[in-house]
Amino acid sequence: MLDQLSYKDKNTFLQNVHTAAILTYLAALLLLPLILAHPLYLLGVFLIGILAVVVSDAAQECLPFLVMGIWVAVFVMILNPLLVQNGTTVLFYGPELPVIGRLRITLEAICYGATMGVRLMAIILAFALYNAIVHPDKVTGLFSRFAWKSSLVVSLATRMIPSTARDLSNAREVQQMRGVNFSSGGFRERLKKYSWLLEVLLLSSLEGSLATAEAMQARGFGSRRRTCYNRELVRPRDYLCFLSGLSALIIGVYARFAGYANFSYYPQLDTLAAASDLIWLGVIILCLLLPLILSWGWKHWPYLRSKI
Amino acid sequence: METLALLEIQDLTYYYPDSTGPSLCNINLKIREGEFLLVAGGSGSGKSSLARVLAGLIPEFYGGKIQGKVLLQGNELKGDQRRTLNSHVGIVFQDPEKQLVMTSVEAEIAFGLENLGLPQQEMFRRVAEVMTFLNLAHLKGEFTAKLSGGEKQKVALAAVIAMHPRVLVLDEPTSQLDPVAAGDFLDLVEYLNKELGYTVVLIEQRLERCFHLADRLVVMEQGKVICDGPPGDVARWQVKQGLPFIPPVARFFASLNSSVIPLTVRDGRRELQKCQPMVPFRENPQQRPTLSPVKKSQPTAVLEAKNLWYTYPGGQEVIRGQSLSVREGEFVVILGANAAGKTTLLKLLAGILKPDRGSVHLDGKDTRKLPLTELGRYVGYLSQNPNDYLFQDTVEEELRFTLNNFRIPDDGICEEILKRLNLYGLRQANPRDLSSGERQRVALASVLVAGSRLLLLDEPTRGIDYRLKTELGGFLHEMTASGGTVVMVTHDVEFAAEYAHRVIMVFDGVVACDGSREVLGESIFYAPQMARLFRGTARDVLTVSEGLHKMTGGALDVCQTR
Repeated sequence: MLDQLSYKDKNTFLQNVHTAAILTYLAALLLLPLILAHPLYLLGVFLIGILAVVVSDAAQECLPFLVMGIWVAVFVMILNPLLVQNGTTVLFYGPELPVIGRLRITLEAICYGATMGVRLMAIILAFALYNAIVHPDKVTGLFSRFAWKSSLVVSLATRMIPSTARDLSNAREVQQMRGVNFSSGGFRERLKKYSWLLEVLLLSSLEGSLATAEAMQARGFGSRRRTCYNRELVRPRDYLCFLSGLSALIIGVYARFAGYANFSYYPQLDTLAAASDLIWLGVIILCLLLPLILSWGWKHWPYLRSKI
Repeated sequence: METLALLEIQDLTYYYPDSTGPSLCNINLKIREGEFLLVAGGSGSGKSSLARVLAGLIPEFYGGKIQGKVLLQGNELKGDQRRTLNSHVGIVFQDPEKQLVMTSVEAEIAFGLENLGLPQQEMFRRVAEVMTFLNLAHLKGEFTAKLSGGEKQKVALAAVIAMHPRVLVLDEPTSQLDPVAAGDFLDLVEYLNKELGYTVVLIEQRLERCFHLADRLVVMEQGKVICDGPPGDVARWQVKQGLPFIPPVARFFASLNSSVIPLTVRDGRRELQKCQPMVPFRENPQQRPTLSPVKKSQPTAVLEAKNLWYTYPGGQEVIRGQSLSVREGEFVVILGANAAGKTTLLKLLAGILKPDRGSVHLDGKDTRKLPLTELGRYVGYLSQNPNDYLFQDTVEEELRFTLNNFRIPDDGICEEILKRLNLYGLRQANPRDLSSGERQRVALASVLVAGSRLLLLDEPTRGIDYRLKTELGGFLHEMTASGGTVVMVTHDVEFAAEYAHRVIMVFDGVVACDGSREVLGESIFYAPQMARLFRGTARDVLTVSEGLHKMTGGALDVCQTR
């Protein structure tokens, strides 16, 4: 799987939005779950993320991340009520355990665990979306104006992933044909066998990096002050996406500090749906929905496509 | 009056850091504007070092000691000035994978321009022009990792051309490409030289496709230029000196001491019509001077594949219902275009991949039931890249590693294999310090040491020079003569013509042809140069020695020394 980069050009709306705009939108999807504590807000942002995956036709690319996320989320949901003894609504008492004492499973701890699970899923989804809809070169292009050395390192590292994965697979085959059985022996013996593979990879990568450095110098790298090639055009849709992401983020911060997006779990759960809280949730959702609506229009309405 | 050289090297000697002997020794070379210079020579002869001097990478990138002068249009470049050569000279390297820096095609082409500090508008114009000219516009946003080898090399060339160099130095640019991609690349280089006036310095091992393009041929040996002149004259001189760096047609006519040395098959056929053979042509398949036929008395099948089907996990069906049997003592060559399924077929035969349907039996054992770790006892598999094998501190330890894994005692087998592969003197060397040809022999030794008599090789002649090819061919021929079996995937039809008993052509996962080596002569695209030269005249000529035999009726030695 690693021998291919996760980004596949599908010519979708979100892939065609300016890098700065899509990064702002994704930043909103990533940061809002971190800022907000209210379970409905978290659920809302998570559902927007799912919708974004659907409209950008990225289900195939995001699914492995989501599956991994579900396992971690379920783990958090189970572990939290077992470890946290706070909360007043006890659902049942368990046996006496060392260190923890008598096990108390509370409704509040379960709810808190579930909310944390949703938060985690929303964060993972933001990263999965980034992988599926943002071209890595566009990001390095954007940041190379400010930090071109770091951007270049990121670009080189990204280039190395597929070739290293291929080298690893070849080296493994070759060593098996030379009699190395990776599935036999104890932990230390297996570790030793895998270290041989690592050695092959390391040596080949070092030789490869020398060749790349030489090719870079041959093309004038480091010879003078460099400029930055960037020919991304800015269209109305880019402003709209940028503003929608930024607005959602600002409103989220406001809602958090004004107390609308807060929720306390312990000792007792807060009221879930106060009308004033939900207004701000609606505004955030509307902001985040705008690029997805535009995406739908871009796909099905040629007139709109020509205007944005 | 002699025209001023665009680039000139005077009395140049260069030592790599920590090296006791010079890699370039007293080089004097002039490269004129618009010239096409072809540089030939064996591995380690200093060709690549020369390319790096021309591109300003030696000593700036490598360090080391250098004496002598490099002049650009008559002006000597001293010290740091040599570094400015990269704005006049662009270099494309051997490995398309390692010279690309960015992840997408457009960014890759722009990389050099950013380094030159060009303004945005100028960069945009150049990138657009180059992409249009090289027909790369449709790959603009494509990841470089996903491109084919030929496309990668084209992108590397585009990235260099965008920088507007005056000289293009190409260091074995086609060595990793299949013949079609290599042909396309060289056509492009020819156009750049002939129509756009670029000065080209091409370093190549496979001379069949580029010999006729050159205005001048330079031959290097042990860091020295040993011959410099028009390709025909240099071919004649090489035959007299016994050097191998000549394509078959030129070698054939030079061996016949012809007054004209044709550089292409077309010119060769015209010249052949003028020549009278010393003996009349007769179709006689017995007259094969180099090969011993497979012993018919030993028909044991060592490899038996029945109704093989294979589909990759992505859903691509690569091998479709193929059956074949390989007998003891056979030298089988598998030919075919890229992505035809050659490597997959070889991996299925080796047991590395298990067929979805059908079976492969090695020495009567079903590969589906043999674990990969046991297969090495029955089959020696050599992948395309010898670096996949090498990680021990010494060559000898590389061999012992395989022996230890199979728990085979070393009863002198290491020494025997090292001597047979001419590696005994290098047994204490670090394999990663060796040349590409030597690395390949070490990888071969590390699989042969397990004692297998069946060898499966994936493109072993890729990127190695004529001399090493002859050595490898000799070794494999010796192996089959003593009852071993070789199955080899290659694009090298000249090598196949020289050494194979049997040729299998694969097309789109299906064996399109399976027959004795003579099928090469009947093929349109896989015919070696000599077969194309003799087409319509003699059917059984595939190699230079067979052609000479045909022309002289066996008085070959007389012709060569005349």
